[in-house]
Amino acid sequence: MSVIRVPDPVGVLLVEDDAVIRRSVQLALERYGYEVDVTGDGLDGLEAFRAGAHDVLILDVMLPGLDGISLCRRVREESLTPILMMSARGDALDVVAGLEAGADDYVVKPVDIPVLVARIRSLLRRATFHRGPVPEPAPDERATGVPAASAGTARPPEPPTAPSSPDLLVFGGLTVDLRGLEVCLDGRPVLLTPTELRLLLAFAENPGAVLDRRRLLRDVWDYGWEGDTRVVDLCVVRLRKKIGADRIETVRGFGYKLVRG
Amino acid sequence: MATRLFDPRSLRWKAAALVALACCAVAAVIGVLVHRATAQSGERAGRELAAAQLAAAEKEFSLTGNRPAFADLRTVAGLPAPLAKSVAELRTPEAYALWYDVKAPNWHWLWAAAPVGDDQVIVVRTDMRAQVRGLQLLDRSMVKAALAALLVVVPAAALVAERMNRRLRHGSRTARRIADGDLDARIGRRGRTRDEITEMSAAVDAMAAALQARLAAEKRFTADVAHELRTPLMGLVTAAGLLPEEDEAAGLVRTQVLALRVLVEDLLEVSRLDAGAERARIDEVPLGELVAHAAGQAGGDTRVRLEAPAVVATDPRRVERIITNLVVNAHRHGAPPVEVTVTGARITVRDHGPGFPDDLLADGPQRFRTGAAERGRGHGLGLTIAVGHAAVLGAALTFTNAPDGGAVAVLDLPRPPGPTRPQGT
Repeated sequence: MSVIRVPDPVGVLLVEDDAVIRRSVQLALERYGYEVDVTGDGLDGLEAFRAGAHDVLILDVMLPGLDGISLCRRVREESLTPILMMSARGDALDVVAGLEAGADDYVVKPVDIPVLVARIRSLLRRATFHRGPVPEPAPDERATGVPAASAGTARPPEPPTAPSSPDLLVFGGLTVDLRGLEVCLDGRPVLLTPTELRLLLAFAENPGAVLDRRRLLRDVWDYGWEGDTRVVDLCVVRLRKKIGADRIETVRGFGYKLVRG
Repeated sequence: MATRLFDPRSLRWKAAALVALACCAVAAVIGVLVHRATAQSGERAGRELAAAQLAAAEKEFSLTGNRPAFADLRTVAGLPAPLAKSVAELRTPEAYALWYDVKAPNWHWLWAAAPVGDDQVIVVRTDMRAQVRGLQLLDRSMVKAALAALLVVVPAAALVAERMNRRLRHGSRTARRIADGDLDARIGRRGRTRDEITEMSAAVDAMAAALQARLAAEKRFTADVAHELRTPLMGLVTAAGLLPEEDEAAGLVRTQVLALRVLVEDLLEVSRLDAGAERARIDEVPLGELVAHAAGQAGGDTRVRLEAPAVVATDPRRVERIITNLVVNAHRHGAPPVEVTVTGARITVRDHGPGFPDDLLADGPQRFRTGAAERGRGHGLGLTIAVGHAAVLGAALTFTNAPDGGAVAVLDLPRPPGPTRPQGT
């Protein structure tokens, strides 16, 4: 696997209390070309995050000072930076608490460095997609990853209620600007994390269609079969809080769909 | 419910039968006593009447020398034999003889006889039929009253028993729910009755609470162990990954770290499955894709054959784990070719080696028990884990040996009733 070197080195903040993990992960990620800041304490981690502009946060759950879940929540209050939780327990409580606190994804220790790097890349892909000007709309970029069968049926040729430009999708009080990647609810802009925006776009591109959780996990998180669908469920919960609970409907046993009108 | 209502083995009917039996016994005893008392007093009255009539007849005979109309004058020989015998045994002049003449079907006469003069006997007969008839009527009405009482008492008993029944049924339903994993289920207290059922319910609830506490403690322990083991393991895995690629010693370290990691993960998985805390996360899964992916994950040369694979609602991560473990096991202990076949919702993993050992076929997979010859290759947890995940999925995982040699493991995933959707391949 060749190392993709981004022009600007990507800044990673790793908050982990175990010294060996902290140092070895730092060394390993640096080999992949990342710039890695490390701290071993939750409160120091929050300060380090505020001090420097990091592109990705990797947080352990059990931390002295301020635990990983609380740290995650505090960071989310002031930033949309992608957060990857790293848990040694992997039981439902840790995972759900981390995702509820606003984490974008989680890994269970021990995690292989290539897997960790793949997770970071997936988060960054969502983030750059979010920030960058992105001249062309998203679907073409993703079409290769989507099997022909599902892409063919789900792709709407034109937005449902496009008033003037095909880049502006309107769902009741919710507008999604595909070009500027801005989301407004009743005229007010909504701040979405890259993952939430990516998830919303997946829905917006297929309005009214039921998207199953596996597909969302693959399209938004780049997971294969190994992914945990709770990641999708909890991101939908967070998205609902921001754009209105009844905007995304649960289709029991299948997945979710965006309500059109 | 209706079948249960009429089930004769139900406690309700047993209680009712018991009450009915007790009622009948009481009625019978009282009936016999009353019957006896009434019969005795009737007989006494009859005797007194007969004696009075006899005395009157005697008196009239001694005064007038004629018998009164209601009496007979006979010789001893003209008397019925039993009466004649009694008369012959009389010693004093005031004494008289009595004889109860009963002949079926309806002949009840009480004879009273006293000798008057030589060889002459004065006889009066009293009709006892009315008295006997009255006794029969009394018996009949007592039976009727007893039956009427039963009609009231038996349903009442059944109703009371039904209340207890309902509490018992509620108790057994709750116990079954607890057994099925709903550890929050409790019988609780209904009403204010304090009896053995309340006691048993409290005992079951206490048992469930103790079980829940133990499971929670076990889960917490497993999670803590997981944390304590995984943290140094992650440091070890990551640090080993930093060692130079081409160094032989580094390679040895990496191999052992990998083995240790697999063992730790498998042990944690077994203890999680043992704790019974695992829940399936159900998705619609196209089995063909999933199984092909899982077989690929397992490594080795595996042939995958798809015969109308179904789309099933199941937990894909667990299915993947089961298939991967089965395929790894087939490569490790069996011989190629290893074949994986998906037919509908059934997945078959087969190799062409010596087959499963007999004790595995008999008792299922036992942890840390590998075939003796292969001792040291694999730690014998893979199949245990596969069985554990299959149980969480509600799937059947069976191990057999093919008649022409080779181990065959079959995973039957549960399918919801209704039209199945075969997946195009």
